[in-house]
Amino acid sequence: MKGLVFSIKRYSIHDGPGIRVTVFMKGCPLSCWWCHNPEGISPEPEEVNEIKRIGKKEFSVKKMAGEYYEPEDIVALIERDRVFIERSGGGITFSGGEPFMQPEFLLETLKVCRKAGFHTAIDTSGHFPSELLPEVLPYTCLFLFDLKHLDPEKHQKFTGVTNTLILKNLQLMLKSDVEIMLRIPVIPGINDDEQHLFELRKYISEIKTGRIRMINLLPYHKIGASKYRRLNREDKMKDYNTPSSERMKELKEFFSATGIKVKIGG
Amino acid sequence: MTERVRKLREQSLNAEETISAERAILITQFYKSDEARGLSAPVLRARAFEYLLRNKHICINEGELIVGERGPAPKATPTYPEICVHSIKDLEILNSRPKVSFKVSKEVFEVYEKEIIPFWKGRSNRDRIMSLMTPEWLDAYEAGVFTEFQEQRAPGHTVLGYKMFKTGFLQLKEEIKASIAKIDFYNDPDALRKLEELKAMDIACDAIIMYARRHAEELEKMAQKEPNQGRKKELEKMAAICRKVPAHAPETVHEMLQHYWFIHLGVITELNPWDSFNPGRLDQHLLPVFKNDIESGNASRDELYELLCCFWVKFNNHPAPPKVGVTAQESNTYTDFCLINLGGVKPDGSDGVNEVTYMLLDVIKEMRLVQPSSMIQVSKKSPDRFVHKALDIIKTGFGQPSVFNTDAIIQELLRQGKDITDARNGGASGCVETGAFGTECYWLTGYFNMPKVFEITINNGIDPRTGKQIGLKTGEVESFKTFEELVEAFRKQVNYFIDIKIRGNNVISKTFAEFLPVPFLSLLIEDCIANGKDYNNGGARYNTTYIQGVGLGSMADILTSVRYNIYDKGKYSWEEVKEALQADFKGFEQMQYDFLYETPRYGNDDDYADRHAVKVFEIFYDAVNGRPDLRGGVHRINLLPTTSHIYFGSVTGATPDGRNARQPLSEGISPVQGADHEGPTAVIKSASKIDHLKTGGTLLNQRFSPSFFNDENSYANLTALIRSYFSLDGHHIQFNVVSTETLRDAQKHPEKYRDLIVRVAGYSDYFNDLGEDLQNEIIRRTEHEEI
Repeated sequence: MKGLVFSIKRYSIHDGPGIRVTVFMKGCPLSCWWCHNPEGISPEPEEVNEIKRIGKKEFSVKKMAGEYYEPEDIVALIERDRVFIERSGGGITFSGGEPFMQPEFLLETLKVCRKAGFHTAIDTSGHFPSELLPEVLPYTCLFLFDLKHLDPEKHQKFTGVTNTLILKNLQLMLKSDVEIMLRIPVIPGINDDEQHLFELRKYISEIKTGRIRMINLLPYHKIGASKYRRLNREDKMKDYNTPSSERMKELKEFFSATGIKVKIGG
Repeated sequence: MTERVRKLREQSLNAEETISAERAILITQFYKSDEARGLSAPVLRARAFEYLLRNKHICINEGELIVGERGPAPKATPTYPEICVHSIKDLEILNSRPKVSFKVSKEVFEVYEKEIIPFWKGRSNRDRIMSLMTPEWLDAYEAGVFTEFQEQRAPGHTVLGYKMFKTGFLQLKEEIKASIAKIDFYNDPDALRKLEELKAMDIACDAIIMYARRHAEELEKMAQKEPNQGRKKELEKMAAICRKVPAHAPETVHEMLQHYWFIHLGVITELNPWDSFNPGRLDQHLLPVFKNDIESGNASRDELYELLCCFWVKFNNHPAPPKVGVTAQESNTYTDFCLINLGGVKPDGSDGVNEVTYMLLDVIKEMRLVQPSSMIQVSKKSPDRFVHKALDIIKTGFGQPSVFNTDAIIQELLRQGKDITDARNGGASGCVETGAFGTECYWLTGYFNMPKVFEITINNGIDPRTGKQIGLKTGEVESFKTFEELVEAFRKQVNYFIDIKIRGNNVISKTFAEFLPVPFLSLLIEDCIANGKDYNNGGARYNTTYIQGVGLGSMADILTSVRYNIYDKGKYSWEEVKEALQADFKGFEQMQYDFLYETPRYGNDDDYADRHAVKVFEIFYDAVNGRPDLRGGVHRINLLPTTSHIYFGSVTGATPDGRNARQPLSEGISPVQGADHEGPTAVIKSASKIDHLKTGGTLLNQRFSPSFFNDENSYANLTALIRSYFSLDGHHIQFNVVSTETLRDAQKHPEKYRDLIVRVAGYSDYFNDLGEDLQNEIIRRTEHEEI
C-alpha cells in the first residue's frame, strides 16, 4: 500500500509536543484562500518549477511534488530521528494536505508507528468521513484540529466546503479519550472580526474538556506567496495582511478567558 | 552593571589596538647585556623574564579592581622578536590593513628600524625554523597543504588546573628546592640540565612575586594621593592583595582573581603562546572562596559580581599578539581564544554546576564581550536548567557560550591514557581542543588542508596552482579503474604530507626545547617541577601534539561526487571533470549544477555521502594518530579551522563537489555551507558518524533563525537536540543565532552594526572585523528556518 507524500520535515517543533517528524500528505478536500501548502491540495503528483542558483546563473528544474511511500518507508525515516524524538517527548505528525484523504495508508502508517513506539499526531482540517474516526482513534495520541470559521457560509466561501462535517467530527472526537489541540488560523479580514471571535470563544468554552490541551493561534503569514508563483496559481490573499504581534497578544489574552492554555504559533 | 564596570567596559571597547615596542626594546636590551652572556637557555629565559617584569611600565587603570596589563595600556600589544621579528613591511601591513589592524607609531617604526630588526634579523625562532625545514616541507607550506603554528607564536594551548588556584609561588620555591635535592648527580646524565631548569624556575617565581610587589608599591603611592576616601580604601586593599598573591595562596575571590591575573600576565609576557592562557574551570576554582566570602561577610554577592565583571574586562584588554602572513590568514582575529569552562563534573565525577556557574553566566550575558570566550560543559549529570540558562544567552546572538560534551571529553582523555581525575579536571581550550587542565602540554601545530591534498592527488602529485611537483606520483587519475584506487592514492598522498609535517613538528619542537624554554609556564603545569624539565621539553605529566584537519565536509562531498558521478553513474568521465575543474566550471555549468544539486551530500543523514566523511576521517586519523612526538607524547588529530578554511580555500582550485576555485572550504566537521537541507537533526546524525572519541576535539557549527529560540518549548527541544548529539558522542556544537537578513544588512551598513557579534568557528568576533570572504561564508551557512 502506498501513500502520496509531498514533504517530510525533520526537527519539526510546532506540530505537537517535542521534536517531531512531520509527514505532509498530498490531497485536500479544502481549498483555503490562505493555504501555505498549495502543492498539498491536489491528490496527484504534480510538476513544480524549482529555481536553483549558482552565483548569478539560475537553473530552473522541474521537480515532482509528491512521491509514493510505503508505511514501512515512513517508519524507517522516523527511525533515523528516534534519539531526538525519545529525548524530547516528540513523535510523528501527519499533516498535509488532509491526511484523511488517504485513509488506508494513514491507518496503516499510524499502526506501524505506534508499534515502533512513536507518539502519533494528526493535523487535520476535520473534513473527512466520520466513519473513519473510530478506526484511527486507537492509534492516534493527539489531534491538531483546525477551527477556521464557525459560519457555514463563510467557511464555504473561503475554504470551498461548509463546516458541518468538521464540527460534527470535532464533537465525535470529544466523546473519545484522544487529546486535542485546537488550531485557529488568525486571518485579518476573514475570521478576526469581533463577532466571530466572540462566537468562537463561546463555542470553545462550551465544548471545553481537559483533553483540549491547548489553543494554538496561528498568525497568517505570507510564506505561501512564492509557492503560488511557482505553481502558477492565483494568490487570492495578495490584498490581505498579516496580523501584528500586538494583535496576536490581544487575541491570546482574549482566548485565555476560556481557561484553556493559549499559545501563539504551533 | 555598576558605573565602574560600565566605564571600564567602555574604555576597553573603545581602546585602539596598537603595537607597543616596550617588550621588544626590553628584551633586546637584555639579550645585548653582559648579564645575558654564558647562561644556559632556561636561566637566560628566566633572567629575561625577570628583566621584563622589573622594567616594564606598571599600568593601573582608573577605577580598576583587578590590576595588571601586558602592555603599557589596554590593547597596547607587545611583540616577541625572539619568536618572530616583524619587518618594516610587516609593521606597515599591520598599521594599514583594513581588518585586524594595529596602529604603529612613528617611534615604533624608528626603534624597530634602528634597534630591534638589526639585532634579531636572522636570530628569531621563525628564521631558525625556516632554515631548518626541508625543501619538501617548504614546498608543502607554500602550496597551502598545511600551516605552521609555531612560526610566529610559541606553543601554548594549555590551561591552569586546580593546583595553582590553591598554591602560592613561595610554596613552588619549596617544591623546586625539594626537586633539586632529588637530582641524582651520580647516575643521571641530565642532572645538570635539570638543575639549570629548576634554577630558572626559581628565578621565575621571584620575578612574578616582584612584579606583584611593583603593583603593590604603585597602588600604595596612588592611595596616598587619592582624595576620594572610597577609592583610597580600595587602592589600599588592592595593594595588600598584591603583596599577598601570587606569593601566597589566595583566600578570597578578589585575591584569587588577582592571583590568576598575575599568572596570566606572566605566561603571555614570557612568550606569546597560542590561546594566551586560560583559567579553565573557573566556577570550580572560585566556589570555595566564593562561599567563604559570602558566609564570612567578607563580600556581598553584588561586590563579587562586580569583581567578576572587572576580571572579564581584563581579558578584553588583551588582543592576540599581531600576526602576519599565513598565520594571520589562518587565525585572523583579535581574539586570543581564552575559553572559560563552566559546569562539567567535579574531580569525584559528580555534577559540577554550582551557584558561581550561574553567576558567571550572568556576567557573560551582561558583559557581552568577545574576550574572554566562554563555553558550557554539559555532562549527563548537568541539570537542564543550566543548559536553558546558556540558551538564554546564545539566543541573544553573540555566539557564546559554546556547548561541549563533558562525557565525550573525559572519554577522549581516558583513551589517551589520562588518569580519571585528571580527565575530569579537563575541558576544552582555544576553540574546541580537549586537554587535561594543569597537567597537560598540548601543542597544536598547524592546519592540514585535505582538499588540497586531493587536488594534488588527481594531478599526480602536481599542484596545479604552480605547476610544481610537490606530492608523490600516485598515477594519472584517468587510469584509476575503481573508486578504491583513487582513495588509495589519496591515502598515500595524505601519509606523505603528514610525514613531512611530523618531521617538521619534531624539529620545531626541539628548537623550543633547546632555545626557548618557558620556566614560568613550567611552574604552572604539573609535573614540570618534579621532573626538573621544561614545559617545552616534555616536563608535563601528559604531552600531546595535534594536527588539525580542515575540510572534512568538503572532502566528504568531493569523494561522494566522484564516486556517484564518475564511478557509480558513469555520468561524467575523469577527463571531463578535470577539464571542468581547470576551467573553474566555466562552460561546464550543467556539471557544476549536477555536483551541487543532484548528488548526495554530507550533512543530510544520507549514508551514501556520510560514509565518505568517515573514510576521510579514518585516513587522516591513521596517518597521524599515535605517531611519536619528541616530548614523550604522541601526535593526535582534531578537526577545527579557526579561519584557515578561508585561507585553504583561497589556495585550492575548483573541486568536484561543485565548489568554485578559491572559495572557502567547509569548516570543522560542519557540512559544506548550504549543502545540508534536512534540518539540524540530520546534520547531527551525519556529524556523529565519525568517531569523535578518537579526536582531541571537533567543531560543529549550526546557524538558527532567532525564531527557534522563542519560548520554553523551544529551549526544551534545543536541549534535547544538544543532549541527543552528546549521547551520540558529539564533542561540541555552537550556535549562530543571527538571521540572514541582519547579516546582509550589516554588510551594507556596517556603521549600524558596530556591536554585531557572530560566531565564527570556535570563537566569536565582531562581524565588522571579519574579512568580506568570511562574512559571506557565514551568510552562506545554512540557516535552519522554520516554515
